[in-house]
Amino acid sequence: MAVTSSSRPVQGKLRYGAPNHEHKIWLFMRLSGLVMFVTVVFHLLYMHMFVRVENITFDNIAERWSGPAGVFWRLFDASLLFIGMAHGMNGVRFSINDYVHNRFLNFLLTAAVYGIGLLLILLGSLAIILGAGGVGRLFESVMG
Amino acid sequence: MAALVASLYKSISYRGAEGQWAWILHRASGLGIVLFLYMHILSIFVAAIGPEPYEWVHKTLYTSPPAKVMEVFLLFGVLYHAANGMRIIIIDFFPALGKYQRTIVRIELALVAIVLVPAAIITLQGLF
Repeated sequence: MAVTSSSRPVQGKLRYGAPNHEHKIWLFMRLSGLVMFVTVVFHLLYMHMFVRVENITFDNIAERWSGPAGVFWRLFDASLLFIGMAHGMNGVRFSINDYVHNRFLNFLLTAAVYGIGLLLILLGSLAIILGAGGVGRLFESVMG
Repeated sequence: MAALVASLYKSISYRGAEGQWAWILHRASGLGIVLFLYMHILSIFVAAIGPEPYEWVHKTLYTSPPAKVMEVFLLFGVLYHAANGMRIIIIDFFPALGKYQRTIVRIELALVAIVLVPAAIITLQGLF
């Protein structure tokens, strides 16, 4: 059982002989957390307190993603998608390693979490790149 | 599975006070946020399909009264996870502050409450 930890490494190395890449992952969780403290909290409060969930419509999304400012918001949303999912998938992996000590079940659950995560990153990227209604338009042009 | 049961039992019997509950809430909120993200990314993907399916999905998933109550849990989950993550980073890089960690947890919860209360009032406004 590989030792993974969400805890602080001691003197640059994790205790109990964890592989060194876990130190990089520990640092990634802190750095991505710091970035998201700004971006995710802004996104959450802006969407829920300023825009309000009731007012989020198809047109609202299309408008935010259009024009020169739209490029910025697409990159912003892409950063939420990539950083958030990477941080989240790794957090779930910490939990699986803490509770599931059966090697096969551990592998199965981790593979499922990473599989679902990569699929959702793909779908989210498609939405951001093609824009509101973009996947529908692509589908129609392909189908004729 | 036995490890999960043991962990749940130890969680309610071990008297770790603020630090222990902060850790449990961090894990629970993190897993909850990941589940919400699955739904969130899928619903935004539906917006890339077309207006009609998106308006239906958005209305069904996010605007009903139970959904508004869940939204408050989401607000708490994200705000708490963000604030507690900052506490973890602070104590990781300044271990000497570890002896004040119980106070830091209380300050952190107060800061979360200051942001959460107005956000929750705005979220639940339409319900009453």
